Amino acid sequence: MDIPRIQRFIAVLWPSFLMASLATVLFFTAFDPALFLAYTKFAETSRLAAYTVGFFLFWLLTLSSCVLTCFFQRPCEVNKP
Amino acid sequence: MQDTPSSDSLYAQHEKIYPREVHGIFALWRTISMYALLGIYYITPWLSWDDRQAVLLDLPERKFHLFGITFWPQDFFYFALLLIIAAMSLFFFTAIAGRLWCGYACPQTVWTEIFLWFERKLEGTRNQQMKLDKAPWTSRKILIKSSKQFVWITFSIFTGFTFIGYFTPINELGMEIYALNLGPWETFWIIFYSFATYGNAGFLREQVCIYMCPYARFQSAMFDKDTLVISYDKKRGDPRGSRRRDVNPRDKGIGDCIDCKLCVQVCPTGIDIRDGLQYQCIGCSACIDVCNSIMDKMGYKKDLVHYTTTHAEEGGKKRIIRPRIIIYALILLTMISGLVYGISQRIPVALDIYKDRGRLYSTTSTGLIENVYTLRLINMDDRAHQYDIKVAGINDLKLIDKLSDIPMAEGEIREFIIRLQADPYDLPAQSNKIYFTLQSSDTTSIRLERESRFIGPSPRGRPRR
Repeated sequence: MDIPRIQRFIAVLWPSFLMASLATVLFFTAFDPALFLAYTKFAETSRLAAYTVGFFLFWLLTLSSCVLTCFFQRPCEVNKP
Repeated sequence: MQDTPSSDSLYAQHEKIYPREVHGIFALWRTISMYALLGIYYITPWLSWDDRQAVLLDLPERKFHLFGITFWPQDFFYFALLLIIAAMSLFFFTAIAGRLWCGYACPQTVWTEIFLWFERKLEGTRNQQMKLDKAPWTSRKILIKSSKQFVWITFSIFTGFTFIGYFTPINELGMEIYALNLGPWETFWIIFYSFATYGNAGFLREQVCIYMCPYARFQSAMFDKDTLVISYDKKRGDPRGSRRRDVNPRDKGIGDCIDCKLCVQVCPTGIDIRDGLQYQCIGCSACIDVCNSIMDKMGYKKDLVHYTTTHAEEGGKKRIIRPRIIIYALILLTMISGLVYGISQRIPVALDIYKDRGRLYSTTSTGLIENVYTLRLINMDDRAHQYDIKVAGINDLKLIDKLSDIPMAEGEIREFIIRLQADPYDLPAQSNKIYFTLQSSDTTSIRLERESRFIGPSPRGRPRR
């Protein structure tokens, strides 16, 4: 069955976006970036900047997972006569 | 990529849908709901409460101000409960009447409606819009199209600005924009959200519901035979056919459907309700309204397209109140009362106790066992308090550093390092439960108990006194 390409794009971008948002909320509720960055060279980073960068890192991670799922969904070529 | 020709381009299969404007009782409800929800969205950040923005989910400060109450990350439990209540309400309303959420309250629907409204004001009716899109690029078309884009983009930016206004104080945000002095991260998120609004409500529209919405896919699991769905009365309508008003359809051997296809034209997702229940249907009832207006014109009975249940269609009765609904309602009611009770009983102070892990215990020169703790105290209330901290659980347990009448300003966080000492003969085990009690000295309602451990030498092998 063929799937419209827009559906494939959305199947990668959208669930990963949702999960990245969830991960960002959970992670930054538990850990305050101002505290864990305090002794690093990112100490000057504002919380809003840390949230933003954190969100996009999470998105990159979940996006990779979705891309791999999509990739491995392709049927394996079976040698047929 | 091994794509089939049909999916060669992003939009190869997608044809723009021009939903026709519709009037009727459900359209009225949808409009009221749209204005109410948009009103709430755009006005809320401007309300103030006690000299502060009434609803401010202050991410940079890690505090959520909701009217009189300030929530901290420590209050995450309430947020989780709220999400569960939201999910439960979705089950409840879906079981009663299908996709009420989608048709009347989903932001995707609401913003699409307002974007469609702008489009109709500037480009005219459905037919005028279709004609304009097919027409060559004259100066008139350029003017209409660019003014539409201007209105859409301005509205999107205002939407993005309002959204960010929920997370940083909107007055300051407005001043910063006015002074062209907006921080880079605020700017980024305003643009990000504006772009999402513009794309979702201006272009993606029904494709969001069809491809992106998880709820659309699993809603069938929440349906049963007594759920109200929008349906075409096939027995009454078929066979379809056009006819003159003065012709009795029975003589012609046709049903009540005049096959005017208006129900298809008004559908925001472009489906034909006469083909039966489809997952693309967002339950907006536009087809009911338009069909009823046609039935009126023809002098036929209304409700050829109507809200009904599968049971009723099979000749049974409509049954709205049923065990499933009652159980959902009870669960929902319990959880809402739980949330309200929990918030009313919330103690606006946090006390975290960390035992010094570097060293389990030490022995003083007088032979007492000493443990060191770090206490982290947060005054989560919106006013100053004084606190006393006491400790109990072991006979003659001594708190070396006095912890009484600690003054704490509103929202203040303080850490204390304290030492506890006990006689080894008073320690029944190696690890002993102790209790820290915090009591506000200016009000009786703030009282908190926290458990911790006091570590000593193993009582085995200790000489008996």
